[in-house]
Amino acid sequence: MRSPRPSLVPAALGCLLLLTGCGGGGFSDSEGSQAGQSEGGQVTVRMLVNITPNLTQAYWDGLVKPFEQANPGIDVKVEAPTGKGVADTLPQQLAAGNAPDVVETLMADETLAKQMLDLSDQPWAKDTPLAQEAALGGRIYTVGVGVQAQSLVFYNKSAFDKAGIDKPPATFEELEAAMGKLKAAGWLPLQTGGDFLTGLQLLQLTNPSRAQQYPTWHQDIKAGKLKAGESMLPYLERYQTWIDKGYVDKNALGLKYADAETAFLSGKSAMYVMGSWFTAAESKAEKDFEIGVFPAPVAKGQQYPGPQGATMAAPYMILKSTPNKDAAVKLVQWLVTDPEAVKSQLKQDGNFRTGVEREFTPLERQVQEILDAAPSGVPQGEGYGDATLPKGFGAAWNTEIQGLYVGKSPKEVAEGVDRWVDGRS
Amino acid sequence: MTLTREAPPVVTKPPGPPKRRPRDGWANAIMVAPATVLYVVMLIVPVALALYLSLTDWDGFSANPAFVGAANYVDLLDDPELRRAALVTLLVAVAGTAGLNLLGLGFAVLVNGASRANTFFRIVLFYPHVLSALVVGFLWSAILGTNGAVNNLVTRWGGEVLPFLSDPTWATITMIAVLVWAGFGVNVVLYLAGLQAVPHSLVEAARIDGATRWQVFRNVTLPALGPSVTVNIVLSLVTLLKTYDLVVSLTAGGPAGQTQTVAYLILWNSFHDARLGFGSAQSVLLMLVTGALAFVVTKLRRRGELAVHQ
Amino acid sequence: MRKPFLWATVAFMLIPLYVLTVNAFKGQQDILENPFGFGGLTLEPLGTALTNPQFNVFKGYAITLLFVVAVNVLSVLLAAPAAYVIARSPKRRFRVLMLFFLAGTFIPGQVLVIPVVYVLKTLGLMGTIRGFVLFETVLTLPFSIFLYAGYIATIPAVLDQAAAVDGAGRLRTFWRIVFPLMKPAVATMVILNTFSVWNDFVNPQIILGPGSGLYTVTTGVYAAVSQYSTDYTVVFPTLLLAIAPLLVFFVFMQRHIISGLTAGATKG
Repeated sequence: MRSPRPSLVPAALGCLLLLTGCGGGGFSDSEGSQAGQSEGGQVTVRMLVNITPNLTQAYWDGLVKPFEQANPGIDVKVEAPTGKGVADTLPQQLAAGNAPDVVETLMADETLAKQMLDLSDQPWAKDTPLAQEAALGGRIYTVGVGVQAQSLVFYNKSAFDKAGIDKPPATFEELEAAMGKLKAAGWLPLQTGGDFLTGLQLLQLTNPSRAQQYPTWHQDIKAGKLKAGESMLPYLERYQTWIDKGYVDKNALGLKYADAETAFLSGKSAMYVMGSWFTAAESKAEKDFEIGVFPAPVAKGQQYPGPQGATMAAPYMILKSTPNKDAAVKLVQWLVTDPEAVKSQLKQDGNFRTGVEREFTPLERQVQEILDAAPSGVPQGEGYGDATLPKGFGAAWNTEIQGLYVGKSPKEVAEGVDRWVDGRS
Repeated sequence: MTLTREAPPVVTKPPGPPKRRPRDGWANAIMVAPATVLYVVMLIVPVALALYLSLTDWDGFSANPAFVGAANYVDLLDDPELRRAALVTLLVAVAGTAGLNLLGLGFAVLVNGASRANTFFRIVLFYPHVLSALVVGFLWSAILGTNGAVNNLVTRWGGEVLPFLSDPTWATITMIAVLVWAGFGVNVVLYLAGLQAVPHSLVEAARIDGATRWQVFRNVTLPALGPSVTVNIVLSLVTLLKTYDLVVSLTAGGPAGQTQTVAYLILWNSFHDARLGFGSAQSVLLMLVTGALAFVVTKLRRRGELAVHQ
Repeated sequence: MRKPFLWATVAFMLIPLYVLTVNAFKGQQDILENPFGFGGLTLEPLGTALTNPQFNVFKGYAITLLFVVAVNVLSVLLAAPAAYVIARSPKRRFRVLMLFFLAGTFIPGQVLVIPVVYVLKTLGLMGTIRGFVLFETVLTLPFSIFLYAGYIATIPAVLDQAAAVDGAGRLRTFWRIVFPLMKPAVATMVILNTFSVWNDFVNPQIILGPGSGLYTVTTGVYAAVSQYSTDYTVVFPTLLLAIAPLLVFFVFMQRHIISGLTAGATKG
């Protein structure tokens, strides 16, 4: 290390002083973020998608390939989230000023809608599943591929047989009786887990019953007429007894989402509350027992089956800021209306759409029947459209519910939820 | 990590009057300016920006954030999430600092001296520092998770699952233990450097006077290590107070949000919940606490060292 | 007492590394059934990890190396001359400047990243290599200047004066005479900065973002592993690929790395 070529030093320093002025100097920036400019007539549409065990990066790349072939001028760049998920990554990108053109998996709420393209005047948009329900002030921002049934209880048929349960439970009392029998027969009655699973499952399980007691739950909470935690307190108390009785594993918080799914599929537990996308995982799993499904139970005296928790499958939004509006609209239209694209997405993630015929596994057929038999659909989780709860409700709810496993009382949990909601409105 | 002596004399007067030349002023400016400008633009301006943002209700992307005065700070005061995260962070910082320094100093004494074996020990103690906290977290969660290597073995032998990461108390302890596992090698190296500076003659003299090993350590080595201890403690505290990566990969803040640190909460609030103003207020708070703690520790230690030297 | 205790510690330190290595060559079933033993060794998971479309290990390494080199070069170019002026000038304003820089060591980098996003956005540097390198460099400045200034103070000022008498300018004196003597301090900082840039997670994750298509080894590992944290045939091989080259480098360079740290610490 002798003298470092003095002539280089001032040059480098001068370069730095200009900060932005020396792109060609040391390192090239050709791959910078500002994609989307056309290069020789080629337009790039950046699409931020959700990556899950069902929906891998390879799946997404393959999905859009036919679209690219049919539209030689459009190049679709599928981007995986760099944060915890799309919900984290999109705000980061918006803040950074390099938002994608299309985003999958999120739905418009009051905050996001301002950033999204209004699709109301697109003739194809209003006929997509749940588009009207998810509209915000009558404007359509989110369009999806199908419907996910949320309030399903999958069960291990041989466990039910061995425990002597001849008919799936229809009320919570029957569910608890069944869990008692299953526990006595040596099974873990209900598969729960940590991650985001804890809160999700409780919402899924209680949708049909809650929707009959509070038909406009989301709206009422938003309007301050109802307290989210307080209204859920009876369910929390019930759940607490399940933990105490060992109907759910007290160490479940250590299980990730995929762990829980694997545990149920390998026959370690008897029931698993999950959305319809579980059928996609089920069809791929090798197992020596059969899995059945029934709609989530309701309270005594309520109508069964109750309203089914329903969400939009593969919701897409287009960013208002996109420099390639036409190409982005074309892509999204193709994704939600092209028969092959729709079928592929429904199959890949175990979702449903009225009028789309595809090959069903026996379990998928049952789910379709449950969907057909449900009297109505009810928003799940944070809800959608005008009935959306404050941003982050799902995660906060989940964190609070997990408190039941670590020694908080149902009342404390309910108060925690309400405190959170109060703090955001 | 340089303070093995008293704080280094940062400014030394050149002996004898230097010949002043008008060009020197310019040369000084040229040599100082680039670093200063960049430092101001990318560190001082952001700090000022964080201060400003903390007074708004910005979500991070909408066009006009509203000025809300001290509202975010008022919210901070009775935010149960922040209270819990602050507690976790302090616990991690204090217990972690104690662990890092006790192990660091202890092992430094044990592997002091030049030998092949000692070199090997130092490498092994130090190597986790080469790995990123993210990798360390993923690795340990694969070992200690409910379905991890250890629990597989335990359940196979008929035992109950050990809730390393699924019980809040266990998970907090696990996190601190992993932080110490990954970091104390650095403290070993730093304390070793400090040990080299302990006057050999003093140690010899004490030995000849018949002092035991412990007495020598307590009365000769430790006082001479004073500045090293200060640097190590301050460094550990400052590092641990911003623990984030390990939370992401080891516990993801769980179970029940009980291992979220302040740094984790800041990024969560700012982006996931799109409450950037509120997150900025938390940032400002963390900066103040970090600065204050480092300052207090340095002052206390300096007073302690002076007392020792008298 | 001492030796057995040390060897037990060695075992405890190395077990995770052992588990990682041995399980990188096993199928999920073998990992679950026998996490600590050999048995059913296969190269398949490693092959899959090598060809993961979401995380190309080689690309991750190349990008991270580029960052490390760029940050180190820039950091030395900026911090060393500034430290020289601060250490050698008797003027009060430079003493204040030193304190000004020193304050930066107490600002947690993770906390800064949110407002830095806006600064970079304003400068048009968000999501670019340049923006990331500049920010990482700035993060290294406070401590570098502190260390260099302390070190320069131990170099006799007579040397510079002799050069000045010979007619050399201040810049020239510094780079020709003083800088070559700073080798140990520079080596220490290069080592520290290399680790901090290499292992940084939040800053590259947020500043580079998904749009740039750029990832470092650390953010790449996160993308490849976090969604599949229960599929150990993904976790173990990916982690192994991410750390193996670094560990090999460390073992070969350990003498320089550890003694570099030590030298910096004793001579500062």
